[in-house]
Amino acid sequence: MSPRIYPSLIQVTRETHEAPAAIENRVTRAGGTNRYGEPHFRVVWGGARLAWIGGKWIDRDASGNIVREAVEVRRVPKYLPLDRWHVERWLPPESYGSPEEWEAQTTEIEDGIRIAALGPYPSRGDYEHCFTLESTAGEFIPLTVAACDWIVRAVEWARRQPRSHLRGAVAARETRRARDWEQNVDVVLDEEFSAAK
Amino acid sequence: MAQMQNAQSVALQLEKVRDKLPLLYERDDILLTMIQQRGDVERVSSRNMRLPLQIRPGGKAGLANMDGGDLGRGSGTVYDVAQVSPVFFRHAVEVTKLVEYASNAPEKAVENAAKREVKNAMAQFRSFLDKLVQTNGNGVLGTIASIGGSTFTMAKPPGSMLVYYNQTIQVYDPTLTTNRGSCNVTAVDPFGSTITVDAVPGGTSANDVIVHDGLSGAQPVSLFGILYHQSNATTGTWLNLNRATYPVELATPRVNGNNSALTPGAVRLAINKVRKALGSNQVSKLIAYTSLEQEHQWEQLGVTISQIIKEGAGGRASDLDLLFTGEKSMAGVPIKSSINANQSRVDFLDLSHWGRAVMQDIDFYDVGGQTVFPIYGASGGLASAYIFYFVTGFQVWNESPRSGAFIDNLAIPSGY
Repeated sequence: MSPRIYPSLIQVTRETHEAPAAIENRVTRAGGTNRYGEPHFRVVWGGARLAWIGGKWIDRDASGNIVREAVEVRRVPKYLPLDRWHVERWLPPESYGSPEEWEAQTTEIEDGIRIAALGPYPSRGDYEHCFTLESTAGEFIPLTVAACDWIVRAVEWARRQPRSHLRGAVAARETRRARDWEQNVDVVLDEEFSAAK
Repeated sequence: MAQMQNAQSVALQLEKVRDKLPLLYERDDILLTMIQQRGDVERVSSRNMRLPLQIRPGGKAGLANMDGGDLGRGSGTVYDVAQVSPVFFRHAVEVTKLVEYASNAPEKAVENAAKREVKNAMAQFRSFLDKLVQTNGNGVLGTIASIGGSTFTMAKPPGSMLVYYNQTIQVYDPTLTTNRGSCNVTAVDPFGSTITVDAVPGGTSANDVIVHDGLSGAQPVSLFGILYHQSNATTGTWLNLNRATYPVELATPRVNGNNSALTPGAVRLAINKVRKALGSNQVSKLIAYTSLEQEHQWEQLGVTISQIIKEGAGGRASDLDLLFTGEKSMAGVPIKSSINANQSRVDFLDLSHWGRAVMQDIDFYDVGGQTVFPIYGASGGLASAYIFYFVTGFQVWNESPRSGAFIDNLAIPSGY
């Protein structure tokens, strides 16, 4: 039996946006559609993308003091930061295991109450985070067709690569990190040792 | 006389490089150096460093009857003090005179021996300490699954990842009570999870554990690593506090991977545990610290910009450098992976709550200004070699175990 979900009675208002239709169309063309005819990829605003989170919530005031504890399911923004665009990719239901496995893994017991920590089983799959549109310094980047198109094509292209290539790229990065460190050390030590002679 | 002059020359060179040691020690992708020294508390004496913790809230709130009703009694905040004592580590480097003579001029060798040994030793010492920061605070580098001759097959995780060639190790019984003796590692196979030693200590058997050199006695204490601070245990001690006294407050939220592959659901469960404990928006400082194996597994899900793109193999890297150079993420949390990290875990860490209590920054071991020491031969005379040491004394602390979360028991992808 699936755990019951009690939606919060409190309505929290937050800034929400929807991606323009032109961008949605472009992303759909780049990534294709799933078995339900829905796009593989989509762009969502952080504050508008909500997900179920169930369990024991500890609410704090601005100073970090606990003001309330409650065992409940809340529908809250799935991704942070709230004020950024996020690119998501659809994953099929089998990515989440069977409904039984989902219930076994995500049912938590808090204060004797069984609660669905991630809400109901995603029987039609769900969209998961791929990329947050922000600069390397964490600053806001406006939504552009070019950026979304590039991200979708990059993720799709990488997904088709053989496992050995993906693994090789990670190994190559580690080699490069070690080499970079060695080169930096050589510069420092060459200077110091030559000065000491 | 010539020998001493050469040793003094090496000493002079090492002295020159001395103030560069911290720079050589740091590397921004190594967990140990991601954990910062904290300016207000890092300098500690031989007494314990104290970390006051506000563990439980105080006060009693409730409905009140103001028509003569009883307003009830109150309560206060519960504080306690965690304590940290630095532990010392050393790395000994020994160079023979022949190596030095053969490399002390450009026409003989491209690099002089002292320079090469400083470089290699810094890399090795840093690697050793970073391996320790993956552990449980007791110096255990691995568990022996089986023994064949002088080769140990190590249980995975961590397999033989935390051991290096020529390291001196010790074998303890599974309860960390009996020290069976020490030996030297003569071969390490990280893919086969085996290590070979020069002489197996007497009594060594399956399920015994390997610890690093220098530890002694029962229940040895070493560097407090991730497995120590990110634990949901409710028994034992944590920074001198009894876990049983605060079973909820000192436990880090855990998701059991159940020997299955990493899934988005498990990641969301772990992150959500932090959000529920600290407030829904308090995860912005988290990093997902994991092994290359689990990073690869996450890439397999096809929900991230792959390393293969970031390495430029896609050939389109220059299109959008601004995005391309961004962090690889796991459900929006930046991934930091390490070759030393536990292969079956993902740890979500808020490093703003972690710190290093340092008594001695990394430096050459110094006796009255002397940093290079002669080696003595069996006769009592000098041997044609010299030795120098790197030393450091510190401990790793975490002031908020509930600010993180972890997934453990994940399946390790094939091919590793």
